[in-house]
Order: sequence, then structure tokens, then C-alpha cells
Amino acid sequence: MADITVTMNGKQVGGPAGITILELAKQNGIDIPTLCYLEGLPPTGSCRVCVVEVEGSRTLVASCHTPISAGMIIQTHSPKVLEARRVIVELLLASHCGTCYMCEKANICELREVAVDLDVGVPRFPIRRRFYPIEDESPYITRDLSKCILCRKCIRACNEVAKKHVYAMGYRGFDSKVVVDFDEVLNKEVCRDCGICIPYCPTGALSNPQKSRKDKKGPPLVIKG
Amino acid sequence: MTNKTTTLSKNQKLILTLLQEAQQKTGFISEEAMVGIAESLGISRSDVYGVATFYSFLSVQPQGRNVIRICKSLPCHLKNGQEIIESLEKQLGVKPGETTPDGKFSFTLTNCIGECDQAPAMLINDDVHGNLTPDKIARILKTYK
Amino acid sequence: MPEKRIVLKNCGVIDPRRIDTYLQQDGFKAWQKASAMTPEQVIAEVKASNLRGRGGAGFPCGLKWEGARNAPGAEKFVICNADEGEVGTFKDRYILQNDPFSLIEGLAIASHAVGARQAYIYLRGEYRFLLSQLRGAIRQAKEKGFLPHVDIEVREGSGAYICGEEMALMESIEGKRGEIRYKPPFPTTQGLWQMPTVINNVETLMNVAPIILNGAAWFNQIGTERSKGTKVLSVSGDVAKPGVYEIVLGTTLKELIVDLAGAKNIKLVQIGGATGRIVSASMLDTPLAFETMLSAGAITVFDETRDVIDIVHRTMEFLAEESCGKCSPCREGCGIIVNILERFIKGTATPKDITTLEQLSSAMMLTSLCGLGQAAPNSVVDSLKYFRSAYEERMKKVEVVAR
Repeated sequence: MADITVTMNGKQVGGPAGITILELAKQNGIDIPTLCYLEGLPPTGSCRVCVVEVEGSRTLVASCHTPISAGMIIQTHSPKVLEARRVIVELLLASHCGTCYMCEKANICELREVAVDLDVGVPRFPIRRRFYPIEDESPYITRDLSKCILCRKCIRACNEVAKKHVYAMGYRGFDSKVVVDFDEVLNKEVCRDCGICIPYCPTGALSNPQKSRKDKKGPPLVIKG
Repeated sequence: MTNKTTTLSKNQKLILTLLQEAQQKTGFISEEAMVGIAESLGISRSDVYGVATFYSFLSVQPQGRNVIRICKSLPCHLKNGQEIIESLEKQLGVKPGETTPDGKFSFTLTNCIGECDQAPAMLINDDVHGNLTPDKIARILKTYK
Repeated sequence: MPEKRIVLKNCGVIDPRRIDTYLQQDGFKAWQKASAMTPEQVIAEVKASNLRGRGGAGFPCGLKWEGARNAPGAEKFVICNADEGEVGTFKDRYILQNDPFSLIEGLAIASHAVGARQAYIYLRGEYRFLLSQLRGAIRQAKEKGFLPHVDIEVREGSGAYICGEEMALMESIEGKRGEIRYKPPFPTTQGLWQMPTVINNVETLMNVAPIILNGAAWFNQIGTERSKGTKVLSVSGDVAKPGVYEIVLGTTLKELIVDLAGAKNIKLVQIGGATGRIVSASMLDTPLAFETMLSAGAITVFDETRDVIDIVHRTMEFLAEESCGKCSPCREGCGIIVNILERFIKGTATPKDITTLEQLSSAMMLTSLCGLGQAAPNSVVDSLKYFRSAYEERMKKVEVVAR
């Protein structure tokens, strides 16, 4: 298909019709943060961290699900974009159980990495947590939904990659929750011998049970800027 | 780009309809009903539960024989809605979200029901009752069994 | 006279349970005329009428129909959005209660124009008491042979405000959770089950038969330059005569709420319900039109005794409960605004809270997935603009103690 030319951060770049702004940015070495995006699977557009500025658009647009169109003028890191991303990450942190030093995945946490990149500290907002008991009955997965940011990657990984359909979204609004069966504890009865979802989780909501000390140590956290 | 939000296939359009039927028939959606829906449509229990818990008129908990939904939104609030809610609370003897001990009424607060020209208003099951006063509520409650 | 009945002309005139009373009022004459026209001719007429969507967004109706007609697809659908959930709106309920036949005639014409063999009416669960009358009206229209080309099915909602948003509404008809899908693709190309779909508000479809019968030129004589026709508005709150009013577009807010509905001592008016705008009493001369201020038609009046913060707080509580929860700004943001407003109610707020409200509102408007999240902070933004002192008065009093 014919290439479409757009202006991204002041530079003319082109890509095939149908690709998203996010994919085009990636091809051109521009790093747009994401939390719910899963390469190769249809986007959900739920986290909104990947928003960019497109000239003529009333709102910012999510780059993960917006296809490029001819003549688009895109800013991926304008002050307006960065401030909006900061607010979103702070909102997620305001309801995310914040005990990083006690978290299995602290060093490989994508939420933490995005927050650090955006220079986000303590949220400016009142803290509103969702409290759920830790589910550690399964020998394959430990689930701590108080850390979940509702990105739905585990649901998509389970449905599309593992083809198991264990998870679904339940409830509504702030009370939304990734449910198993009729909102039951994740145990070995409903989910067996898999654990495919664990690496997809951007936080410590899903982790491997009984990790050895060596596994606990992920790659070091890189602090930019 | 296709806009696939879930992997549910087309015959699964019946989930919501079947849940609504179950709700109408027994006043709530039991686990057995959800298992039946999941098996007949070939979808996971989680997906059925996810739909059932999204809609506020569907309930996965047993309800009273009659469900009272009294409006708490602004147009009703302006017409002494709070007083009416408190009066209903007193007459039923239960708080919002609860069911009377005799199982006759479940009582919940709800968002705008589109009867603002006769505020304050409430729904009992599918029936609309508007221009409520404490006396009127007493009379209305008597007509339900 | 600002009042004019086009949409409501049969309300109170016909018996909504008997199609013969509708036929006596020129019922289905427009359908007979339209069925003799090609779909393209029908679309051209509606385009020429400049009819804009009455659900709030004001998108040109003819363009929507044309988009779906021209989009490739094995099947096409027309949906009537009767999920009127906006706080303070009841005009569609009034229409469905009093004249279901005009709506069915509009749907029949729309389906002919778009090429849909299946149409849906999505009725909110709160209006379940209208279900049997509506189904009865469809059955009678079918028996009389007015629906040879299309099946009209009524689907019920089950208590979810968000399903009034077209993307969530389609998810709900598909049997799923009423969560938002992103755009593009738009419904006209990939809507219900990925097929080209037109979604029209009840009131939009009510305008179709009169336009076909009387012609686009007639419709263009009514209203302002960019807003043709009338608008049905639901007036509630502190007014002597709450109810449904049909006014010519361009009528001022004052003519509606003071002259017609009898409002006195107005402090503010909320136009468009929970996601609508707040205007102060000084803005009553604003004409109601798409180019100025309109929404789907909820007009709630508040008099001088009312507390602005309480109004905004209740509005945000509503939105926090009704957010679908899919995107993070709306799911998390609505509740946080409620929490911050509680500080003003308790008297513990600081100047920083106003800044936070402004920053959060701005980000939600810019980044939310759908119109609900993008419009959710409207009441906060407008009240800060017109009633800022109400916030400042409620901040924490810093006591200076003399030593």
C-alpha cells in the first residue's frame, strides 16, 4: 500500500496506510510510553498514557489505536502531552497500592518505569485505594489486585495467547475488577499450569509464587533525565 | 483496523438478553442461571459474570419480591428528594441497599429515571410513581404484595 | 411565539395504542412518499433539510445516513437511541409515551435510506413500562404493511447511563458490557457487529417524517442559520411548570425557562445534565442552538437558595457511579474530583485544591476515551469560572491567633 506522509515532532516521516501513530513512532525511534498496549493484539485504548497531540484535534488522541492519515501534524512529547501523561500516571498511582519496596516486581514494574520517565513523584491527588486480599492459593500465579491498574493485558493474554478465557472484566467504573468465574479467588481449579499472563502484567498484580532470590532481581531500574 | 473489544462471537449477543430474562423470572441472577447461560452459549463463566455485574438493574444477589429504586439525582433532590428518601427508609425500616426482613421490598437509591417533571419519583419494579409525598408513599407501598 | 410543534404534533392528539388514530393525522404518508423515492433521493432531501442530530452532538443526519449507505457491508443497521439517561432529560420518554408511531415511521424511512433490513430501538431499563406499548405499535405498523423492508426489534438496557453513548450502546446490543469502543472506526463504517450502522436519537427520527412530507425547504424556514427546526427540551428543577417544551431553535434560555416554565430568582442553569454546561443567571439571553448551547435537551434550573458546590458534587457523584471504568482518566478522575469537592463541603480545602481541580479537569477533557469522560469535568470548570467565590468561601479558615 502507498505510503502516507505525516509530520512527527517537526520531521516528515512516512509509513504504510493503516498503521497507528504509535507504530510509526516506534519505526522512527520515538519512544511513546504505553501501559495497556500489547504488540500484535488489538488495542483497547484504556490506559490513555500513549496520548499525543494531533493538530486540529479538540482532544489529545491515543496513539495506540489512531491510524495515521495524510498530512497529520503530530507532537509526541509537547508540554501539553507530557502534563496529560503525568496526570494519568498520578491517577493510576493514587489507586495503586504503593509499597514498591515490598513488591516482587518493583525492579521490572512498567508503571514505575513510566512514572520515573515522566518525572512523577507522589501523586497530587487524594489517595483512593482498592483493597483486595492477596490471592496466593494457586501454585502458578499470585494475584494482588490492589496493585492492578486495569490495563486488561492479562485478560487479552489469557484469551488470545493462552486461549483459556479465565479472566474477564467485572463490575463497573472505579469498582471494575478482573474477575475469575463468579469473582472467585484464583486457584488451581480454574487456572492450571500456565502463568502466561504474569509477564504481561505491567505491575506486581500478577507474579510468580515462591520466587527464588535470584529471580527477584530484575534488570536495574534506569532513571533518566 | 478492526475494533474487537472482546473475543466473544456473534451468538453471544444473547448474554444480556438471557441475563435480563433470568432477572425477570427469579428477581435475581443465580449462579445456576449463569452457569446455564455460559454453557448454552459456549462462553466462560467469567464473561457472563462480567456482563451481569456491569448493569445496575441486574443483580447477582437475591432481592426482595419488589424492588424499589428511588431517584437521588439533582432534579428529584431539588424537590425534597432527601426527605422522601428518609421517609421511605423509615416506612420500610431498612437502609438503602437492604431488603426488608419479610422479603417484600428491596430498597436502593438510583440515578435519574427520567421522571423529573414529576419529581420526586421512584420505580417499584417497572412501575413509575411520581410527585411523591410521605403519605403517598405509604399508600403506594400498601398496593404491593 | 417560540413554541412550535413539529416533533410533538401528535402528542396528546392520537391514542398511542391505536394506529388508526395516527393514520388520521397523515400517519405513514411520509413513508409512502419515501418508499416511492430512491434511497439516494431520501438522503438528498434529509441532507438538504440540514437536520442535525438531536442527541447532543448535532452531527448532520443526512451525512450519517449517506456514510452508512455508501460503506461496504454485508448487512446494515439502523439503531434508535432511546437510552435517555442524562440527568434531567425525559423528552424521549414523553415522545415514546405519546407518539410511538412517528418514531416507527422515521425508523422505516431511515432503514429504507440506509439499506438496513434490521433496526433496533434501544430502550433504557428505566422505561421498561413503555415496552409493551412500543412493541404493540411496531406490531400494528407491521400488520398494516408499513414495514415490508425492515424488522424493528426493541432491546432493553439494564441501568447503565453510559449505554446512551453510541459505542457503548452497540456493545450492549451485542450482549456485552456497555463499555466504550474507541473511534475511528466510526459506526457508519464499522458499527454493530462491524457493519455500517446509523445511530439516531429518538427526536432526530421524529423529524424525518415531517421533513419528507413537507420538504427540506419548509424545514429550512424554521430555526437559525446553522440550526434548523425545533428542539424538544426537558425543563426541571426550580420552575413553576416543569415539563417538555418544543421550541424553535434560536429561542433564548430566558424565553424558555422564565416565560414558558415560570422560573424565578435564578442562580444558575445546568444545560445538558451531568455532562452539560453550567451558566449563570447573567447568561439567560443566550439563544438555544447548536452554535451556542444546546445539548440533548436537559434544562435544570436552580434558584438562589441552592449551593453551587453541592450541585457540582452531586453531579460528579453521578458520573463517578456511571463511568464505565474502561479508561483511566474517567474511572479514576471522577471519584477524585468527588473527594476534592468533599474537602470544600467539609471546609478543609486549601487553594491548592482549586489548582488540582483545574489540572485534573483539563487532563480528563483532553485524554478520556469517550464523550462522557471528556465532558465529565464540565460542571467543575464552569462553576469555577462563574462561581469561583463559592469555592473560595468554603476553604479552610486559617485562624490568626494573637499572642
